[in-house]
Amino acid sequence: MLIVVLLKGVPARTTQAVQIGGVLNREAMDLVLNPHDAKAVEAADYLKRRAGGKIVALTMGPDMKLIPLMKPLFDAEVSGVDEEYVLSDRKMAGSDTLATSYAVALGVKKLVERHLAPIDELAEAIRKAGYSEAVKAKAEELYRANLIPNGVYSDLPSVRDSIVQRFLEGKITADTAVAELAAEKERLSKFIVVAGVKTTDGETGSVGPQVAEGVSELLGKTIPHATYVEAFEADPETGTVTSERRIGYLSQKLVMQLPALLTVSHEYRPSSAPAGDQARVRASSYRGKLPQAMKWTAEDLGADPKRLGLAGSPTIVGTGIDIGKPPVQKKVGESLVFAKQVGQFEFETKKYGPYSPGDLPNALPPQLLDRLKADGSLALFDVAMLAKELVS
Amino acid sequence: MSEQPTGVWVYLQHTKGDLTKDSLELIAAGKSVAEKLKQKVVGVLIGSGLESMEKRAFEYGADSVLVVDDPALEVYFNLAYADAIYSMVVEKRPYVFLFSANEIGKDIAARVAYRVPTGLATDNVQLAVEDYNNPALGQFKDLLIQIRPDFGTRLARIYTPKHRPQMATVRPGSFAPLEPDPKRKGKLEKVDFKPGIYPAKVTKVTELPPPFPDLGSADVVISLGMGILKDGHGNPKDPREAYGYAKQLKDIFEARYHLKAEIGASRALVYAEVKELDGMIGRSNQVGQTGATVKPKVYIAVGISGALQHRVGMQNSAKIVAINTDPEAPIFKIAHYPMVGDVYEELPKLIAAIGGPASG
Repeated sequence: MLIVVLLKGVPARTTQAVQIGGVLNREAMDLVLNPHDAKAVEAADYLKRRAGGKIVALTMGPDMKLIPLMKPLFDAEVSGVDEEYVLSDRKMAGSDTLATSYAVALGVKKLVERHLAPIDELAEAIRKAGYSEAVKAKAEELYRANLIPNGVYSDLPSVRDSIVQRFLEGKITADTAVAELAAEKERLSKFIVVAGVKTTDGETGSVGPQVAEGVSELLGKTIPHATYVEAFEADPETGTVTSERRIGYLSQKLVMQLPALLTVSHEYRPSSAPAGDQARVRASSYRGKLPQAMKWTAEDLGADPKRLGLAGSPTIVGTGIDIGKPPVQKKVGESLVFAKQVGQFEFETKKYGPYSPGDLPNALPPQLLDRLKADGSLALFDVAMLAKELVS
Repeated sequence: MSEQPTGVWVYLQHTKGDLTKDSLELIAAGKSVAEKLKQKVVGVLIGSGLESMEKRAFEYGADSVLVVDDPALEVYFNLAYADAIYSMVVEKRPYVFLFSANEIGKDIAARVAYRVPTGLATDNVQLAVEDYNNPALGQFKDLLIQIRPDFGTRLARIYTPKHRPQMATVRPGSFAPLEPDPKRKGKLEKVDFKPGIYPAKVTKVTELPPPFPDLGSADVVISLGMGILKDGHGNPKDPREAYGYAKQLKDIFEARYHLKAEIGASRALVYAEVKELDGMIGRSNQVGQTGATVKPKVYIAVGISGALQHRVGMQNSAKIVAINTDPEAPIFKIAHYPMVGDVYEELPKLIAAIGGPASG
């Protein structure tokens, strides 16, 4: 199963989020992996253990920053991330969620094509060349490039029944091999995309569903999605994923046909269900990890430049706003307030009041303040006064 | 189709035959925008057996309601609901379309916005209408100004100058529902929509009990932050002591003053997963941008420094008390009653004062 996990590099510290014209300058700041993505990686890992296949990480942003960021995911024994693709192009800078989702959807489509095309190539070689070293060489080449699963071709001693091997041994005819490859291609076309529920910088939670919509547009078929998934099981044989999610006051079980997209909630815990059928898992797994990250530009993606970056972003981030004015403050043990009801009165021909307990003596002449303090009308704001104000 | 897009649409969620509180707030949000634009507020209702629900929308301020009522739409299903909404948007072309910034609102709005296509500004805490002048793009009259927290430093204005509808999600708790007026009438329009065949299916739906604690409807929220892990001298403290104080305060407010009180927490404290607070403080206690937005009569911030993400979730509280050792803590900028000092000294004083005989 092709498992695409969407990752994002976010500012390490929010104070560093220097903005130029309202756009985050990701090149000028320290990035960390979006903390919400950890659950997506965990879910992808679980899927791979259960169903086999390959975890492909897809991210977008400055490749110089992102490649080192993703490295621990490959190095770590615990992480099953096999390959990494970075969508990186100045044309993509300043993308809002719509433009981001468009680019990411193109990336997903290209990843899918990248894994389907080799199956066609191999079928073509078999059809053309029949039994020959050419077929073996082609299979070997694709296998080394991590592009075909063990079930298609493998040099693992434990895999003796790959399609190509059985064909080369004369156990199946060319027609059967081609038909089996077509079935394999069909299985591979049932990919899954997993993402975090949101990122810590934009906090929109929109990109997951929008990528599903974008891939739907590009593939010409509806890709369902489920957000806030807390539990799921995928069945590569039936090509479905059953997800459970909590949305507001509803808990919902959603059965989706693959390909589909999930965003994984913080509440997600991989189930302790026993591993899947090991032979099947092995057959759908690939040779190993590709240590080199791959960079794709807008041109590589065949993107419409009008839909990328600032040009492709309907929203514009404008000027900032300070939140609220400082309220009138009363500090316990510091602020002078009226301690009792004081009716209207005159002081040096000007009228003042009335005042209620707790009122601040704002803009009163100093002599008047002294007088009010002296006669006990004013007192320091204390915790008892505070208590009274809170419950009134 | 030559007419200009018009109308402020609000997507109305409902449960158990009634509109949700978030939806009532959303009508108020729509109304505030529609009045400035001199346009109508149009409620959008989708489901099955929705008879008379539109009356609630009218009572709370909607001028008209579009209803898609079909047995196949009985349970919430994102693909079918998004399709229904998309087809109405294309046919009727609203100027503004608002959704609640909850899981369901975001689920649909994101897909619809991509398909239209238009921008989607999420999690707005305020809305305004202003003219907008952008040297590169031109002048725009009466744009919806979408105001949302931005990367932790401030609130940002988001504009969608060229695309219609201008789509936005609004944080629950940011607007108060209007006073219902049972005499208010509106226009009901039934919309024909047949859901298609989808590669997904909702196979089970369970209504969950409201999250506990119900911060949104509390009169008093006492929120704990990282400051409770240490006393005023920086020595470690068992945070259960502070939790105990908060609980005492909650009980006093409830028993003595009949004010519904709940215990909240800052994101930092929730995510710290402090072992001692296991089972007491969890994600449902979280106040702030990623938690609940609250507007209680009294908000008591205990050992919370008040990062913007926290402040946007509680800044509209009527009376804010803040206790913190750091006089520079940003929470003091918005507190009505700053108390600079040790949580473990100040909180007992407050409890004594509120619970003591003198303040009865």
